[in-house]
Amino acid sequence: MSANQLRALDVLKGVRFTRELVLLCLLIVLVVVLGQMSPVFFTVGNLLNTSRFFVEVGLIALGMTLIIITGGIDLSVGAAMALVAVTVGLAHQSGVPMALALVLGLAVGLAAGLFNGLMITRLDLHPLVVTLGTFALFRGIALGVSGGGAVSSFPQWFEYFGQFYLGPVPGQLFVFIAAVTAVWLLLSRTPFGRYVYAIGNNEEAARFSGVPVRRVKVVLYTGIGVLVSMAAVIYTSRVSTSRADFGAGLELDVISAVVLGGASIYGGSGTIAGTVLGVVIIATLRNGLSLAGVETTWQVFLLGVLLIAAVFVNEFFRRREE
Amino acid sequence: MSGVDALRSVGLRTAPTTRGLRRWLLRPEAPAAVFLVVLLAAFSLAADRFLSPDNLESILVQVAVLGIIALAVNQVILAGEIDISVGSMLGLCAVAVGTVATATGGLLAPLAAGVATGVLTGAVNGLLVTLGRIPSIIVTLGMLYALRGVILLLTGGTWITQIPDETRVLGLAKLAGVSLPVFVMFALFLIVNAVSRNSTWGRDVFAVGGNRRAARLAGLAIDRTRLLAFALVGAFVGIAATIYVGRAGSVQTNAGEGLELQVIAAVVIGGTSIAGGRGSALAPVIGAVLIGVILNGMILVGVPGVWQSAVLGALILLAVTTDALRRRLVGGAA
Repeated sequence: MSANQLRALDVLKGVRFTRELVLLCLLIVLVVVLGQMSPVFFTVGNLLNTSRFFVEVGLIALGMTLIIITGGIDLSVGAAMALVAVTVGLAHQSGVPMALALVLGLAVGLAAGLFNGLMITRLDLHPLVVTLGTFALFRGIALGVSGGGAVSSFPQWFEYFGQFYLGPVPGQLFVFIAAVTAVWLLLSRTPFGRYVYAIGNNEEAARFSGVPVRRVKVVLYTGIGVLVSMAAVIYTSRVSTSRADFGAGLELDVISAVVLGGASIYGGSGTIAGTVLGVVIIATLRNGLSLAGVETTWQVFLLGVLLIAAVFVNEFFRRREE
Repeated sequence: MSGVDALRSVGLRTAPTTRGLRRWLLRPEAPAAVFLVVLLAAFSLAADRFLSPDNLESILVQVAVLGIIALAVNQVILAGEIDISVGSMLGLCAVAVGTVATATGGLLAPLAAGVATGVLTGAVNGLLVTLGRIPSIIVTLGMLYALRGVILLLTGGTWITQIPDETRVLGLAKLAGVSLPVFVMFALFLIVNAVSRNSTWGRDVFAVGGNRRAARLAGLAIDRTRLLAFALVGAFVGIAATIYVGRAGSVQTNAGEGLELQVIAAVVIGGTSIAGGRGSALAPVIGAVLIGVILNGMILVGVPGVWQSAVLGALILLAVTTDALRRRLVGGAA
């Protein structure tokens, strides 16, 4: 090997192949490939428009990242989103002022998350079984109270939450950027963030070190309830309807985005930057495949395979690092 | 369980007069069995037709598919894993059964096709979990969606109709006055119960689920034990799919959607711990019957069908709450 080649290898070794960097490369490859498949894909308008569709998943994925870092999971997010949307819709339909209806929706989302959190911490139950139960319960209540019907006559100003544009930029993108910044600061710059990692690495040790494990968990599950409410309001406004079947299968998108972003499903690791990249990759994939005329069922199929593959690659590399 | 709870439970354990009652309460199925009796009494008072032999038999027929799959998923959960792909798996096996049935007719060939498809899919789940070292919740969540895509690929989105009568026997015929699906469910229960209590694999399942590290150190083949449990789910889903196709007479592409929730509900309501290692083969059967009784009773007393999912969710939460509280009070092993 010549001296030049050796030097080039040294440079390569200097670059740290972090998970985020790999994801960024994957995203670039994806954009190029999808750009070849559809001429519409590679326009600024479409790329910005894609962001309208990932904000709901993205908001919830932020909360899910923290929950997965603690070693937990929340399968009830899609059902909770439907419950909030139905609450807002029915409250508005029964004559409650729209602003109050939104507050009610927020309260329901918060209560749903708090319920999950209290069940998990007070009864020492596995988050999987609690949120599987509330997955059915929340969806069931939404279906029951709405009778399966839809509400769609919202006031004009409500459109701002999901259909507002500042120039070519969709309004909800600003909400998402603000939320990303807030959660990133919370996770990487505060004692609370360190508690989250500590719980995921070793819950027992964290408890003995004085970390308020239960309180942190309750805050996390309640927090994702609030994020779910925000997502529900944006989504309801975007499609100008509220129905009980909203958010069906949403948990798959959210969990896929988080584990694609590098968070370990066993807890202890994960970053906000990774999750954001995961969200953008999945949204780009969905948007690109739709434009290329691929059916929704196939998109879900690909998402399922992607989820398994992402976790496999994650855990494979994690074992090699150790 | 924390140290304080453990101490408290030791204190309770010393009262001799409650020993018989406590031993009975310690059985994992006890709360579900009590609840089932209460429900039967309540519904029979609320609706005249409820306790008729016809209605009771139709409840059992309706939960046969659910009960059979829950029996196998119960073993997976006992082994400390989970399988939430069974809804899509039932759809895939039903497509296999339906395709072979319309091509060749008969009962054995479609049944064999269904079971083979199931075992293959279950083995893929098991291999991804054991060799791939991917958590079972992720593997089966991914498969839940991926298998729907496979179903669409195989059927092109069209229904399979005109299933021949001889294939439908397993779903419709009666043996000695009892419907065949009920018969199959109880036969499979007896087999699983015997295997679970008396075979090496059956005992290994409890050991692996109770404490995987200890099981590995004791030299148990933890991977083979779990792989077999996942394959068993496939086999039972194949049998259940044949009953399903027999009863429905056609195969829709959305067959089995949402079934995974009912199956896990049956297992945990019956009293098997979701954390693994604690439970019995009787638990999923009691759980499935309980779900059947509630859904049937709700219709008879006039609750709208849209509330089904809410009731199911509330039941799961009630079951796991009861389990947690009972363990605290009686001091059973966590």
